[in-house]
Amino acid sequence: MGRENFHRILDETQQDTLRLGSLVEDATAKAVDALTRSDVKLADEILEGDDIVDDLCVRIETNCLNLLALQQPMASDLRTIAAMLDIIIDLERIGDHACDIAQITKNLSTEPQLKPFIDIPLMATTAREMLRESLDAFAQHSADIAHKVPEKDDEVDRLYRAVFKELIEFMAKDPRAISRGSNLILVALYLERIADHATNICERVVYMVEGVPKHLKRSVVEINQAIAHSEALGSRTIGDTAAS
Amino acid sequence: MPLFDQFRKPRKTEGVSSHSALTDRNSALVERFDALVDALPVGVIVVGEDGRVTVFNPAAAEIFGVPRARALGRSLIESVRSFELDRRLWNALRGGVEQTAELTYNAGTERKLELTTRPLRGTEPPREAVAVVHDITRVRELEAIRRDFVSNVSHELRTPLTSVKIIVETLQGGVDATTQAGFLNDIARETDRMIALVEDLLGLAKLESSTLAVPFSPVDLCEVCREVVATQALRAKQLHIDLQVRTPDEPIVMLGDRAKLVQVVVNLLDNALRLTPPNGHVKVAVRSDDGHAVLSVADDGPGIPSSALPHIFERFYVVDRSRARSSTGTGLGLAIVKHIVESHGGTVVAESQLGVGTTLRCRFKI
Repeated sequence: MGRENFHRILDETQQDTLRLGSLVEDATAKAVDALTRSDVKLADEILEGDDIVDDLCVRIETNCLNLLALQQPMASDLRTIAAMLDIIIDLERIGDHACDIAQITKNLSTEPQLKPFIDIPLMATTAREMLRESLDAFAQHSADIAHKVPEKDDEVDRLYRAVFKELIEFMAKDPRAISRGSNLILVALYLERIADHATNICERVVYMVEGVPKHLKRSVVEINQAIAHSEALGSRTIGDTAAS
Repeated sequence: MPLFDQFRKPRKTEGVSSHSALTDRNSALVERFDALVDALPVGVIVVGEDGRVTVFNPAAAEIFGVPRARALGRSLIESVRSFELDRRLWNALRGGVEQTAELTYNAGTERKLELTTRPLRGTEPPREAVAVVHDITRVRELEAIRRDFVSNVSHELRTPLTSVKIIVETLQGGVDATTQAGFLNDIARETDRMIALVEDLLGLAKLESSTLAVPFSPVDLCEVCREVVATQALRAKQLHIDLQVRTPDEPIVMLGDRAKLVQVVVNLLDNALRLTPPNGHVKVAVRSDDGHAVLSVADDGPGIPSSALPHIFERFYVVDRSRARSSTGTGLGLAIVKHIVESHGGTVVAESQLGVGTTLRCRFKI
């Protein structure tokens, strides 16, 4: 394999990583859409699409390992390959979470809606934004973008807590809501995890570009302080259930 | 042989004596081709056989929210994060047939796109593929509005009709005189509801189908408000609502259609009176502000959630269905207000706080 060939395959593998990112971002959007509209057909589509995600992961991993084994890449090329090997694990997990949400949509499809969906779609929007921007950071090899993305994770964490608190209250009041409530808590948890995976991707991009590993996710103590501060300012009512 | 290569650079024309003349002609053609593609209102993307973008017109840049410079010369997936678009373009590059699909693309705002992909020059190398992208977001939105409208009208008409049918069937079975009188009142009420709805529907359709037929003339907005408030004073008293009107001593005159402006105040006031609980307050006020007349109708009713505020001027939008059922509005009042205000070159906004109240404010140029 010549050096030119090496760069061609490296480029193609990076493009495949972006394709994988696009697939799982789309799956996440569709999963939440299917949940809010109780669309079982769309949920089935997402579950069927997971095979493409898995195949793409295998292809990227194989290419990365081949490049490592046959080309002994150095410096930024080596870091790019190492980053991709990590990023595809995060992307594959995001795809799995989209499937988990699709499965919950199917489970809940025969039951009446517990409450209007407000905070869960908001969580999904922010988590998707984070994922999209983390992939922008990877595509543009931009540590600047990667540094900014995790700031949004606080908002997702805050919404997760709000959803959790609200659903626990629902379930405490009405035991018939336990099955639906616990499923929706899982959905919120999956979305919170998707945002965390986006943060992981940003950490890998920073490492890829700057060559120094960095933890971008804030500690639980820092997050709690930030949430307490924003609540003290009254910027938004937690557990807002207002609906039309 | 094509006049330019896949990067739209003039091809070399070997063996031709007037080489430079032909090259000039090719350059002019390329320039014209670029101008043509740039002027198209639909997104056009062309990729070469290595998958790199060679054409990305301004409409495509606008649709995908990607600067042209970031897309050109790179693999499409690096700038436009759509697996489906990328896959279809690669299929076309490999000689696939023309395909049309609808997809959703989200780069901050969600767009519905209709996408057609096809090989640009058959299977002859150098291969290229083109994607033509129509933004059909607005079309899909309008379709949804039309569907909702038909469904809402059917629902709003069927409900009173069903009541009337049941009452008539009961009356046919024979009832005593007192019950009969009560039932007849119910029929009259339901009929009034249907008439109000049909009148509002016709009024709105008339407003939308033409510009105001009556020429604008000077109208004193203060006088209009005082007149409408006077006609509603008895109703407010019966509802135990304190209705006040505050206007300056000097008239505030604007150019407009008086009858339509009366309708604006009537609709706003009707809304406020219906949604304000007993012992509540409704205030109608007019003031001048920096060359504008500002009409406001404020109530201290339950208020509107912030998530609902952007929708209250839509037809049949109901903030709280359980509350609305008892309050007999047609669901068209604010849509009519918005239409009339805008046809007068004005604006209408709503401000509300849950538990505090709602203010609707119209602003007209004077």
